[in-house]
Amino acid sequence: MRLTRVLGILAGTTALAFTPARAADEIVVGFATAASGFMQAYDKPAQDAALIRIDEINKAGGLLGKKIKAVFADTKTDQAEGAKAGLAVLDQGADIVVVSCDYDFGAPAALQAQAAGKVSFFLCAESIKAGIPGVGPFSFSGSVLAAVQGATMAEWAYTKKNARSFYRLLDSWTVYNKGICDGFDWMLPRLKEAALAGSDTFKNDDASIASQITRIKSLPKEPDAIMLCTMMPGAVSAIKQIRAAGIKSMILNGSGVDGSYWLNAVPDLSNFYVPVQGSVYGDDPNPKVNEFNKKYKEVTGGDPSSQYVYPGYVLIDVWAKAVERAKTTDAAAVVAELEKMNNEATLFGPRTFNKDIHHQNQGRYLIVDTEAGKPKVVDQWTISEKIPVDYLVSK
Amino acid sequence: MTAVLQIIFDALSLGSLYALGALGIALIFGVMRLVNFAHGDFIAFCVFAMLWPSVDAAAIVFAGQLPFYLLIPLLLLIGAALSMASELIVFRRFRNANPATMMIASFALGFVIRHLLLMLYSSRPKSITLWPSLGLPVEFLGAHIPMLQVVTIVITLAVLAVLVLFLKRTRYGLEMRAAAENFTMARMLGVRANAVILLAFAISGMLAAAIGLILATNSGTADIGMGANVMLIAFIATVIGGLGSVPGAVAAGFLIGAASVVFQATLPHDARVFRDAFVYGAVIVVLLVRPQGLFAPRSARQRV
Amino acid sequence: MTMSQRRSIIRQTITTPIILMLALLAIAALTYQFGSRPLNRTAVEMFINIMVVVGLYVFVGNSGLLSFGHISFMCLGAYMTAWLTIPPVMKSITLKGLPAWLLHTQLPMWAATPISGAFAALFALIVGRVIMRLSGIAASIATFGLLGVVNNVYSNWDSVTGGQGSIVGIPPTMTIWTGWLGAAFAIVIAYLYSISRSGLALRATRDEAVAASASGIDMVRERLIAFVVSAFIIGLAGAAYAHFLSIVNPGAFYLRTTFIALSMLVVGGMYSLSGAVTGVVVLSVLIELFRNLEKGVSLGGLSIALPNGVQEIAIGIITIAILMYLPTGLTRNREFSVGGWLLQRRFARPAQTALKELN
Repeated sequence: MRLTRVLGILAGTTALAFTPARAADEIVVGFATAASGFMQAYDKPAQDAALIRIDEINKAGGLLGKKIKAVFADTKTDQAEGAKAGLAVLDQGADIVVVSCDYDFGAPAALQAQAAGKVSFFLCAESIKAGIPGVGPFSFSGSVLAAVQGATMAEWAYTKKNARSFYRLLDSWTVYNKGICDGFDWMLPRLKEAALAGSDTFKNDDASIASQITRIKSLPKEPDAIMLCTMMPGAVSAIKQIRAAGIKSMILNGSGVDGSYWLNAVPDLSNFYVPVQGSVYGDDPNPKVNEFNKKYKEVTGGDPSSQYVYPGYVLIDVWAKAVERAKTTDAAAVVAELEKMNNEATLFGPRTFNKDIHHQNQGRYLIVDTEAGKPKVVDQWTISEKIPVDYLVSK
Repeated sequence: MTAVLQIIFDALSLGSLYALGALGIALIFGVMRLVNFAHGDFIAFCVFAMLWPSVDAAAIVFAGQLPFYLLIPLLLLIGAALSMASELIVFRRFRNANPATMMIASFALGFVIRHLLLMLYSSRPKSITLWPSLGLPVEFLGAHIPMLQVVTIVITLAVLAVLVLFLKRTRYGLEMRAAAENFTMARMLGVRANAVILLAFAISGMLAAAIGLILATNSGTADIGMGANVMLIAFIATVIGGLGSVPGAVAAGFLIGAASVVFQATLPHDARVFRDAFVYGAVIVVLLVRPQGLFAPRSARQRV
Repeated sequence: MTMSQRRSIIRQTITTPIILMLALLAIAALTYQFGSRPLNRTAVEMFINIMVVVGLYVFVGNSGLLSFGHISFMCLGAYMTAWLTIPPVMKSITLKGLPAWLLHTQLPMWAATPISGAFAALFALIVGRVIMRLSGIAASIATFGLLGVVNNVYSNWDSVTGGQGSIVGIPPTMTIWTGWLGAAFAIVIAYLYSISRSGLALRATRDEAVAASASGIDMVRERLIAFVVSAFIIGLAGAAYAHFLSIVNPGAFYLRTTFIALSMLVVGGMYSLSGAVTGVVVLSVLIELFRNLEKGVSLGGLSIALPNGVQEIAIGIITIAILMYLPTGLTRNREFSVGGWLLQRRFARPAQTALKELN
């Protein structure tokens, strides 16, 4: 028993070890993200991009004349630890708390920031909850809603590729996947001649989706497009099996399958479309994006693995602009400035925030087409109507 | 007709995968009364053994580029080595412990292996290209069946045949069966405990490697959580099949695979997401009807 | 049991829960006084884990059956608390499938928590009637099935549970003192159960099943009682967890939590209440120690930090090491008491007998 108490005190004192030192001429950005565990692979790339933007701002003279300092706390991909990480960066004087790429893992830290009256920004969360509905009035997300991806692909395929019959295949594993299909469901009735040929579900870690494929093949006519609402790692297997079964339909996806690192597993993949905010393949129509990719490679040692690097850059960008305009880091003032942003130009597409939604329910997406295993930007698309907030929140 | 045939083949191939997993668990359970919760992580380890440790998104395949007649034996060897190492380092000390203690120890071992892999490789799934030609479908009575499914079924049947022969015809097999039925008695009759247990672990490790290869070829990715699903079902199958009965575990593996496929194919659309709930519900029903398992050996039934 | 027998048992064993509660109170006080905010949160998390593991002990320790399904009661308790305490405005948007009376209710924590516990206990009563007929590993697998079913249903019944996405809005009312209160309450219930007639009878079936049923003990009934009591405690723990994080999602109540809870119980000593508490405290302290080492400790001018991810590996290795040298756990299945270690052995350690139920 005594040993336990000694250990407890030891643990306590080591916890006091880090001292929150905050200079008056600094603005502190707190990163309560995953440096270990499952989410690390997704948080780190976006965080690196955010750090690049911070570095750019500092080199250009800083924010409001002060240098931006980044502090970190590891959430260890654990919700309880995430709340502690949020507290830890707040204790170090954070003016804004940047949280994990996923709503479930970022929310605990964001809730702490909200309770402390600070702005919180999700690195790349694409659920409607990552913002006002799921955290509070000071919370934002740097990325675009998953639903927009589904809606974009449906409208683009209908308009540009004359797709009329769609098959909806949902991976019920995560909220992100369901979000993509929710957007698809919203858009489809708005496409006059489009029809749903059928619908099915599978689970990401299913070893085989043979029965789902059998259903597709037993349709009287092969659907023009399959809306595949899924993400890594199960996406690869599903796509392999679809093509191996001889189904030649267009495969439309969310941004979750962006990246060329997995294409080796499905040789000669064609007729495969992914929406992205910026191209990691070096062929973005905006030359500044290609420059950013090069800088990213210099700083981190590798090319951006997927488009989920970009929202990290965007969030620091828009927040810094809001701070400049508000002339303070006080949360209420900054939020007011952010909510005035309408089609604010950023490196990776326009950003709009207002009192009802701190996320993007409409966005400019580049369409990446993969032919013979080589991805290439072929088009860009913005959906014609914003997806209503009520629809998204009620799903 | 083709739809039914398709379902049968799907059921058989998924069932084979689960059967192989159940076999790996049942062998160790038979000789040691230990449920090896680290089995899923052994599977993942064998797959990652093909890659060079790196946290980049693209995998640097080093062993994976070997031709198949070198790669397969190498991986089987790695699986057996890992399994035997865990026996020697960890499980040997737990021979006489409480089953709960052994279970938690095996879980902790799996935990360590998983986090080691996480540290070395990061959680982003890495792509592996193994024999992509196996993904192409084979036509059989009008149904399109991926070659890999056929290979899986054939491999499972072959492994089962070899194992049955081994268990029934060879001396080592006899010793293993004796140890599984009554360990203490077998020792008194001259069975070398350590050798038998080590052998069981080695075979189980090779089975883990085989499952890893099949999963990696099927999905084209290496992911930390790869073996977890198979491990869970294998564990359940071992119990439903009847503890101490290796053929029972295999049969139960096939059954659960078949149930999963049949549910997926026949449930109405809105109920399909609840497929797993139905499968687990079926498991509970089976246990209520036959608590000692479907194919329990006579020795399992309590006489009092 | 006569009153005098009962009083003598209480006199002999009452020191155990008192020692445990006082020790935890000391930890709470020290943390409150000297600890940083994150450390206080760690302490609350530890108290919630104590509630879970003590609840688990009530069933596992007394019946000898390993249960993988108890965390599903935590899920039930947490979500019931969520349904009862989230402001109606938020509920009507995201949880439209709830019945109207539930949508319009908003209760404070003190009312919602016992209701959550009772809800979990009721569910355990219904399910337990079916499962408790099984024995040995069949029962364990059945509880596994229970975990799978609850997880699958809660993850996919979007209109009622919010599906896999987390639901927010639960008032964050857990402080270190309410945490301690919850842990103390769990210890008291577990203690009262273990000295009760039912608890003694169940332990008899654990140690010697055949003789116990020959003596007229209804094994199924006693197990069911333990199942329900343990579900109540764990349901309370779920409610506490919901108030702690202010956000619930089904993934937090599945395999990882199950195995960590079981590990804490077995490492501490599966068959004793002190074991349950000790396992949680020791492992929590070790985890916190390693996490701080990962963050980096400055000694003099030097700052050393373990690479990220080492904490989990270290805990796994330590768990194996503890179990290797102390297979019956840290407390060796004995209870803490003031003088009278010998007396306790009668109540805690399972007897070694020739005929053991086939596990």
